[in-house]
Amino acid sequence: MSLVIDVQNVSKHFGKATAVNQVSFGVEKGQIFGLLGPNGAGKTTTIRMINHILNPDTGHISILGEAVSPKSQERIGYLPEERGLYKKMKVFDQLMYLAQLKGLSQTAAKTAIEFWLDRFEASSWKKKEVSELSKGMSQKIQFIATVAHDPEIYIFDEPFSGLDPINSEMLKEVILEEKNRGKTILFSTHRMEQVEQMCDDICLFNQGKAVLQGNLQSIKQSFGNNTVLLDFIGDSEFLNQLEGVRVNNRSTNFAEIRLLEGASPQHILEIAMKHAEIQRFEIVQPSLQDIFISTVNDTKVAV
Amino acid sequence: MINFSKIWLIIKREYKTRVQTKSFMLSTFLTPLLILGIIGLLIFITVSSTDNEAPKQVIVIDETGRMFEPLRQLNASRYIPISASQSVDQIRDLIMEDELDGYVFFDQTFLSEGTPATFVHNGSGGITFFESLRSDVRDVTRQIRLEDNEVSEEVIAIFEERPALENRRLNETGVDEQSNAFLSSIGGILIGVFIFIGLFGYGAILMRSVIEEKTSRIVEIITSSVKPIELMLGKLLGVCLVALTQFSLWIATYAGVTILAAPVAQFFINQRMGDLQNSLIAVDAKGTAANVPSDIDLSFLEQFSIDPLFILYFFVFFVLGFLMYSSIFAAIGAAVDSEQDSQQFMTPVMLPIFLGYMLNFRIAEAPDSTLAIMASLFPLTSPINMVTRMLVSNVPFWEVILSILLLILSLIGMLLLAARIYRTGILMYGKKPTFKELYKWIKQA
Repeated sequence: MSLVIDVQNVSKHFGKATAVNQVSFGVEKGQIFGLLGPNGAGKTTTIRMINHILNPDTGHISILGEAVSPKSQERIGYLPEERGLYKKMKVFDQLMYLAQLKGLSQTAAKTAIEFWLDRFEASSWKKKEVSELSKGMSQKIQFIATVAHDPEIYIFDEPFSGLDPINSEMLKEVILEEKNRGKTILFSTHRMEQVEQMCDDICLFNQGKAVLQGNLQSIKQSFGNNTVLLDFIGDSEFLNQLEGVRVNNRSTNFAEIRLLEGASPQHILEIAMKHAEIQRFEIVQPSLQDIFISTVNDTKVAV
Repeated sequence: MINFSKIWLIIKREYKTRVQTKSFMLSTFLTPLLILGIIGLLIFITVSSTDNEAPKQVIVIDETGRMFEPLRQLNASRYIPISASQSVDQIRDLIMEDELDGYVFFDQTFLSEGTPATFVHNGSGGITFFESLRSDVRDVTRQIRLEDNEVSEEVIAIFEERPALENRRLNETGVDEQSNAFLSSIGGILIGVFIFIGLFGYGAILMRSVIEEKTSRIVEIITSSVKPIELMLGKLLGVCLVALTQFSLWIATYAGVTILAAPVAQFFINQRMGDLQNSLIAVDAKGTAANVPSDIDLSFLEQFSIDPLFILYFFVFFVLGFLMYSSIFAAIGAAVDSEQDSQQFMTPVMLPIFLGYMLNFRIAEAPDSTLAIMASLFPLTSPINMVTRMLVSNVPFWEVILSILLLILSLIGMLLLAARIYRTGILMYGKKPTFKELYKWIKQA
């Protein structure tokens, strides 16, 4: 099985700081791959190296079987975390320019851009300068700039940050649609619900290292059914009396309780019944959020 | 491996977005008007003599009794006699009330013992007026002394002789042409100022555009398509082309104006001449004769024309100088997040440009001095100083070639250095780097 994106033992230093430390992961064709991790974990640096914007100090990255190069850049559609367009340039001219920089001929660029502008009902903005557009509008233009050259691979750095719900939903749709067309998608985020809804594989970054990776479902399974969801009416004070657990998420009537070594769910139910009226008691797999937090905390302790 | 077709795309964008702006149109079409104004002024200065001011009136108090008459013969409207009833105090009052420009007092002993004459005035007229007064007094005094000593006519003729010195410059083809050192010095200084403003102005435009790409974050999208060095080269060449376009338009305008100037001026002069002749007929009827110049020499206008070869050199030096300096400007733009932050790094770059600008005035005066030769060979100043020198003087061909070669070498060096800073800088946000950090960026392979 050849990997579409293959990152092997890659490290990158900036001065004395190590941004990425011996990271390896692979993305298979047609996958949606999630790059997770707290801010400053090295996600953006890794993405920049995959995009051949930065060169790794050591290690190797190949795209579709070939080492990263200006040629591989043309096969990737990249949406950076910090969005940017030329403010004083007209929408159509700008899209033409960016698409041609990605290697498209003038006619091919024109056809593609007109298709996408039409698709996003944005054809009437063609002659407008970007500075005249609303934020949501310029996000759409930015997205067209990413996809117009019909790349085989999409890389989105924090694609949902700053998007309003409508654009966010639209982007999700397009991503799933592109996946169905056989495109490979890698995106970084710290919005867990989107990862749970969309990703096949994930790689969790912390402090420059890939601390956890693999298929999302198997990762969740490997953590086992170790989480209790509790809906109740009454005083939540009893949650503090529980031993051998970590309460991840609590509100007035709800608690997400992670069972630690040796804790029994039946014991929790017993205590809870004494103090409150129980409306729901469920034993489930941990949420990604929980996996994320505990993995990050574990590695912090370990380091 | 540099991808030239992508650089070409970048050049096209840089060029188009600039040439289509209002400010480009405005500066392109207003500057020729300014140049026209300057040429007009120069022509005006050259054509008009200074004596069309209102004639000055000076009372002569002549105790020697011999000075007034010859002075009056020299300039009857200027030198007027003191009337019998006037006292010196009254004359002083007249001067204070600006009824009179001044008086000259010759003591009885002025001729015999050389007591200095005194000129009392209200301060108007300035140095030219005073000089002409002094020269009148000297001429008259010399005349009187020559007469007193019964010197022969031949000797008097010798004293009155004014040998002419014609100024002719030998050009490359060996033909001597009329030269006006003053005009070519002015031209040399102007052309230097022109390049100075060009280097600076367009350098600043380039830097601002690098900062803009960086702060608007578009640079990350661009660098996911092209190499930073390709982006930098494309921007440099694009802005350079804008500058060349503007210069070409200006030079074309200038050339058009100078070619047309002579016939147009001749036309107006002929017209005025016609008017003058008509009015003279009327004057003649009253029996007054006047001297009318039959023709005005307009050949001086040819000195305003520029040699096409010089234009070529001008472009060569400007392009090389621009690419050298602007690669530094681009690096600075990449290193900072805002224009304010750029000040610290601008200073060391501005120094040599300013040096070239300052030296220019000395070079226009003494184009073949050692200083001028050094400045026109030194690559940081040669884009300004060599061009000025070439306009003012005949620079040996090998010096021009040497200067170009040195400039190309330092341009390549600067470009390589700048590209390294640029490459790292455009993706760095936040803290303004120190010189030490810039040095580290350069060192990273």
